[in-house]
Amino acid sequence: MKPFSARSISALVLAFFLVNSLVSPVRAAGMSRGFNQLLESVVKIDVREIAFEAGAKRYTGGIGSGVILSADGLVLTNAHVASPRAVEINITFSSLERVGAKLVGWDHWTDLALLRVDMAEVKRRGLKFAHAALGDSEKLFPGQEVYAVGTPHGLTRTVTRGIISNNNRYFEDTRGVNGYETGAFNTWLQTDAAINPGNSGGPLVTDDGKVVGISSRTYLGANNLGFAIPASTARRVVEGLLRENGSITRSYIGLVPGALQDLENFYSLASNTGMLINSVDPGSPAARAGLRAGDILLALNGAKIDGRFPEQLPPIQNLIANQPVGASLKLSVKRNADIRDYTVVTEKLESRVGEEWALEKWGLSVRKVSRAYARENQLDDANGAVVIGVQPGFPAAVSGLSRGDIVMKINELAVDSLEALKFAHAGYEAKPAPTLFEVQRNRRVSLYILKP
Amino acid sequence: MKSRLITFFGLMMATLALPAATDLPKLWADRTKSVVAVEYTTETETERRPTISMGTVIDALGTIIIPSGAIDPRAATWQLKDFKVFLPGDATSAPAVYLGQDAFTGWHFVRADEATRAKLTPVTAFAMAGDAPVPALADFVWGIGLRNKDEDFAPYLMQSYVALIQSLPQRTAISQHEVAGPGLPVFNRDGVFVGIASTSFGQSYLQFSRRSRGDPILLVNVEESSAFMLAGEILPHLGRVPKHVSGRPLAWLGAYGLEPMDRDVAKFLKLESQSGAVVSEVLEGSPAEKAGLKDRDIVLALDGKPLPQLKPDRVVVTWIEREIDRRAPGDALELSVLRGGARVKLKVILGEEPKLLREADRKYFDRLGFTAREFVYGDAVDRRVKAADPSGVVAHFVKQSSPAAIAGLRQEDWIKEIDGVEAKSFAAVTAKLEEIEKDAARIEFVLLVSRGGETAVLRAKLK
Repeated sequence: MKPFSARSISALVLAFFLVNSLVSPVRAAGMSRGFNQLLESVVKIDVREIAFEAGAKRYTGGIGSGVILSADGLVLTNAHVASPRAVEINITFSSLERVGAKLVGWDHWTDLALLRVDMAEVKRRGLKFAHAALGDSEKLFPGQEVYAVGTPHGLTRTVTRGIISNNNRYFEDTRGVNGYETGAFNTWLQTDAAINPGNSGGPLVTDDGKVVGISSRTYLGANNLGFAIPASTARRVVEGLLRENGSITRSYIGLVPGALQDLENFYSLASNTGMLINSVDPGSPAARAGLRAGDILLALNGAKIDGRFPEQLPPIQNLIANQPVGASLKLSVKRNADIRDYTVVTEKLESRVGEEWALEKWGLSVRKVSRAYARENQLDDANGAVVIGVQPGFPAAVSGLSRGDIVMKINELAVDSLEALKFAHAGYEAKPAPTLFEVQRNRRVSLYILKP
Repeated sequence: MKSRLITFFGLMMATLALPAATDLPKLWADRTKSVVAVEYTTETETERRPTISMGTVIDALGTIIIPSGAIDPRAATWQLKDFKVFLPGDATSAPAVYLGQDAFTGWHFVRADEATRAKLTPVTAFAMAGDAPVPALADFVWGIGLRNKDEDFAPYLMQSYVALIQSLPQRTAISQHEVAGPGLPVFNRDGVFVGIASTSFGQSYLQFSRRSRGDPILLVNVEESSAFMLAGEILPHLGRVPKHVSGRPLAWLGAYGLEPMDRDVAKFLKLESQSGAVVSEVLEGSPAEKAGLKDRDIVLALDGKPLPQLKPDRVVVTWIEREIDRRAPGDALELSVLRGGARVKLKVILGEEPKLLREADRKYFDRLGFTAREFVYGDAVDRRVKAADPSGVVAHFVKQSSPAAIAGLRQEDWIKEIDGVEAKSFAAVTAKLEEIEKDAARIEFVLLVSRGGETAVLRAKLK
């Protein structure tokens, strides 16, 4: 959950990219060995994934790009290019050879995904590929020359040149990665190197071929406002994904931070001290501990906090996220003139987007209500499944169910998991009979009969 | 206008072929005396908004009823000013008084001044003694429409035939064409009062233009209607003139979100030839809660009267609401509900409706740029918080480009703190805001507001 004042960027770069396999000169990059090696380590990614939206299971295709990071075939790309919904991933090397790959890690919060090339196939066919190295994005400075490599609008092997426009851009987007949250835990590199729909997942590099960022989004309709995830974030996420078996566990306490900017006087604070708590998620650990919106967080486990500017918020969010799940945190908080400590026990951070499924005999696509979704929508608990689509002419649509409804009960049995729904659907499939649905829509409870 | 003329012409042609009504011009002259145009002004923080509605005269005191939709339910009665009555075809207006709204019928009552009364004839003068006549299918009916203000509300004739009679839940006739202006009476061939036109229904059309090829659109004729509620639903209730402009007393049950069910559901629940309505939530502290009504109970009957199967399904909810609204606080009501497969009977003593939004105290602060509104029961329901310990105020109105608007305050934001101090009561808040507004040296003020369950600190610059 985010404060409603948070900036968001709606335009997301759709992903296409193809490697430059040519040895033709790229003079501006100085024809450095590193740059050529980089070009040989960029891959095209074809993804076939399952979608549940329309009341049925459907397969959709997408193209993206990525960069090989190691000799054992790890490929880094965007989370919105390859997701856990992928059923088939193919990688095209710069040699134009194509091999299969598997998703090994996914982190929508930073819009990064990690793939592994099918190394058995590579060995069997005797294929070769180069790999690139992550550079130091911390050392980038505004005005520094960088290159984006990608397949904008399907134009393969496109290298564009620009500068770092801002090396510490902050924005969050609650629905940024195919509906998943992104941006709370990292800042972005902003560049004027042309990034167009199709550049996603491709590397942003310096002239020595070092990967300093992963191009991921742009303002559609604006000129040359492109954004990349910094290599410092990528390095941390890649390590985490490998260590933690494919996903990153973060801690959550339910604070929505706000930049203090020039509110220090109002809160009688010394400059560069504290972070404004703009909102506290209802029912979250912080809310249960008694924290309130308008409180000022001064220190966390004794470490002083400085959240004066928006760009300073991701590191603070990370500080909380990096605590072990279930840890007791000591928060020093100022409320009016009082300063006191609160103990908050962390929970595991969850997305508001729950697991999805399609119940095809009913023509009904659902998404499990997650804890975060329940909090956001002031539901009593995380029971139920949200309707994300219905197929016209099928029982769900005919009965009157529509997108956004929350299915609470089927034949009087609570929908406390997707399994409960699948079970009821299997029963209907075996022996179709009128089935009673209890549905909640904007707090209103209605009954529907789905009949064969 | 052109299309209307054509319609007129078409209608005239149609009537020529049929036996003419009993001296319609004579009937017309008398009956136009029972219709008026009512104009009033809604005074808001920054503007004055005139509204014109059509009304029917119902008694010798010059009492006029206008449709429920004629007045914004959010408007406080003190905001409604300068009620005026215009006689059809007369450029002059006479002052009138607003008497309030009746919850059961939904009508707003207005009364014309003494001098005007003599020129009016109540529509009851054209009603038949005893039971009101019910027009039959294909019966000829006619009514009155009023032109716009710039044409002195000139009355004009509309005629049609009854095409369908439905329960919505009031018995309502739908005629083939528009038959009267909404709120104006409809008569039969002999000039007997048979009903009052309700708001017209939307009609589906396809729109063709240079840019669109047959896009479906819904058109609603706001000046003329083809639906009219039958006299039998009107005449018995003309005495429901509110005793107080607030419309109180108002009976209250406290069952939130009554949802209808379709016939498939009724059949599944083994309800034979009747309907039910699901209670989404039982409101805190309400008579329903005290009587033991539970969330998700299915209401089956009121005082032993089973819920009828009406079409569209939604109408049954209006049916229940009317059953409650026709009663008074303190009245007993027996509810039969279905709870987990078992039938349960509950006895509810209806209460008095908590303070409504339109009755909430308000104060506008021009320099700050917003109106603070008292936090009432309905606000607590909307925000899913306990109504027992209300705190804070609601931003009822935010002036454009004002300090509050620039700080990001929006209408319906719940203001919980002002300058770091909890906003307890409405009085305390207005005192605090007055102090800020008067302090010419003030540079800023800070609000903690809640919107959709999330909060934010807003900083408003005064200088």
